[in-house]
Amino acid sequence: MNPSILHNDRRWWARAGATVFALALLYPLTALFAHIGPWQWSEDVRGPALASVRVSLLLTGCAMVIIMSVGTPIAAYIARCRMTERLVWQAVLLVPILLPPLALGILLTLAFGPYGAVGSYLERFGIVMTNSRAAFVSTQVYVGMGYYVLGAVAAFDAVPGILQKQAALLGLAPWKVFWRVTLPLSRLGLAVALSIAWVRAIGEFGAVVVTAYYPSGMPVQLWVNLQSFGLPAVMPLLVVFLAVALPLPWLVHVLAQRRRHA
Amino acid sequence: MLKVHIVKKRRELEVDVSLELEAGQSLGLFGASGAGKSTVLACIAGIEEPDDGFVKLNNVQIFPPSLPLHQRPLGYLTQEPGLFPHLRVGENIRFGIPKELSADAEQSRWIETLRDRLQLGPLWNAPASSISGGQARRVSLARMLARRPPLVLLDEPFAGLDRQLVRELIDDLVFWSQTVGFSMIAVDHQAEVLKRLCPQQAIVLEEGKAVQRGAWCDLYSNPATPLLRSLLAPI
Repeated sequence: MNPSILHNDRRWWARAGATVFALALLYPLTALFAHIGPWQWSEDVRGPALASVRVSLLLTGCAMVIIMSVGTPIAAYIARCRMTERLVWQAVLLVPILLPPLALGILLTLAFGPYGAVGSYLERFGIVMTNSRAAFVSTQVYVGMGYYVLGAVAAFDAVPGILQKQAALLGLAPWKVFWRVTLPLSRLGLAVALSIAWVRAIGEFGAVVVTAYYPSGMPVQLWVNLQSFGLPAVMPLLVVFLAVALPLPWLVHVLAQRRRHA
Repeated sequence: MLKVHIVKKRRELEVDVSLELEAGQSLGLFGASGAGKSTVLACIAGIEEPDDGFVKLNNVQIFPPSLPLHQRPLGYLTQEPGLFPHLRVGENIRFGIPKELSADAEQSRWIETLRDRLQLGPLWNAPASSISGGQARRVSLARMLARRPPLVLLDEPFAGLDRQLVRELIDDLVFWSQTVGFSMIAVDHQAEVLKRLCPQQAIVLEEGKAVQRGAWCDLYSNPATPLLRSLLAPI
């Protein structure tokens, strides 16, 4: 038998297998067309649902600004550390990632609530860290920070060290090297890291439902709708949730992959 | 004037080399692969830190304490052009020019001279990531010289290039070292390249130590070691 035919045959089977795999991964999305009766979008569902969209977008946006402004310099520092120190920082960053969300929520409530040292201190200034916007944002920061910083470290690592040294030897102070070389060359990797943090934070339920049941973000509101009204009241908000949470990170990942293979 | 004493311990080699170089002169560091030539240059440039010794350039102590890379008045060129891929060729060449000098007429003329002599005009607006390896070497040479550093360090910058291009680049470097007046230390394991680039003098390194120093004619007529004799022999 002609070897190229055999090769094409194997390739065809591999493609068919990958297609079945992809269809299985995407299968849950078909539930958007499930026969569950007419979707419910009455005033008592719509009002809280739209409020939860506003809360999620606005407060997750705030969390991302904090994550980016704090996480980027931290990641730049870790990327320059020697291996032993770097392992220590990475181990620390893994803690909020690996903590079960519900456990993280309980710990945050206790640590930042009236029983915790920081929580009781903040309360003196009128900053309440349970069931408040501050609680919502801080929980999302805890949830997303590890993902962003680890991704940003990987993005900085991907910038060849020789370019940074060349820039320094051309007379640029370290902060200028970072601004003119490191940051532009790692921006796509940083965008990928931020998009992962965004998806993780905006979709967080377990921790947020403990720390900030109010103001309700989309995941909590979905849960409330499911409990109070059933599936027909969940579907419209679910569509909105998917529409605001997924496209941007998806696009960033596609662009990053294209750039990597260009 | 450059005065250097470098001690750098490696796993299998201890580099211990002293050298002096008058302003405007050139010096070749010659030896087999692994003799410690690149280590000496990297220590002077600040890419590596010596374990002991000193580096003084024009009475300014560069080491110790180690002067930050961006404050070292030198240019360093390696086999790796290290162009910034997100910038265009012209932006790469102007990269190290301070803002206050970017509008300076003399500086602009110098950049134009580099551009014309190295035939970079047609590439000026091309993305640095899109040019060939030989073109990238020319751009990195122009970028290094754009700042007119008083000392230029060259670590096998012509490896892998065709002979014609190597000849042109060497002639350009020698021409500019005489006209601009910078000192030059070059490393290569090809004697003919190094001799053409640094015709005045050379230091021969073996296992991290200088085994002979002087004019090229002395190295050829009285090589100090069998290895040097073998390295200088025609293939």
